[in-house]
Amino acid sequence: MGALVFGTANTASAQIDGECSASGAWQDNGLKVDAQTVGDDVITIPRTDTVNWEGSVSSPPGEYSGSIWLELPPPFGKLKIDDWSGNGDSTSNSGSKEYDIPKLVPAGVEFEVAGEHFADNGDCTGYVKLVIDGGLFDSFVSIIFFVLTALFGVLFALVVWKMLVNAGFFARSAL
Amino acid sequence: MKIGKLITTALLGFMFFLFIGLDLVLFGVIPLNSVVVTIMPIIGLVLGAALVVVASRKQGSAVNTAPPAA
Repeated sequence: MGALVFGTANTASAQIDGECSASGAWQDNGLKVDAQTVGDDVITIPRTDTVNWEGSVSSPPGEYSGSIWLELPPPFGKLKIDDWSGNGDSTSNSGSKEYDIPKLVPAGVEFEVAGEHFADNGDCTGYVKLVIDGGLFDSFVSIIFFVLTALFGVLFALVVWKMLVNAGFFARSAL
Repeated sequence: MKIGKLITTALLGFMFFLFIGLDLVLFGVIPLNSVVVTIMPIIGLVLGAALVVVASRKQGSAVNTAPPAA
């Protein structure tokens, strides 16, 4: 059985609906979460750590399935992270997951991880808003984006300025 | 109105506003799954194209109203 495990710092940061419970604890960082009791704040997670997770449902699930994903801007939809399915009577599961988010992913970006769990005896859905700990320029992607913003901004401004001057919006002598 | 100029300006507007949207995400102003990320490049595209249309009309009206050469 999979679990919807959502991390949090000292404050609330996840929502879960349905007869499920889920919790996680970051081994190195010390973060702890109980998805049932946390709220809707954005939380900061370390780029690298191991999470001890636990999940449970209120009654034997029977046939079950579920998945978690990263919410992308429309129209891109979802980027699946993991999924699970099976058949069983166990109402709980736990484990540890080591993760290492590549430097390619910029720190400070707020992203939403959502999940769902379907079983014969009930369904659950949930989400959490996360931010990776670190500085704005930890990832070279940020630098590339800023350079490209400036480049396209200058090009756009030059093209528009020249076009408007030629159209007579501004005096040519001003140039 | 030149189609090439229209496409060039619209594409530059698209790219400029796309990266503004991505920078807003990087700065944490808006979340990654915000619809603003989708809307920004469309705004740039429309703005670029609109500026070309406005400039072309202004240029056209200036030519039409110019006094005949002596």
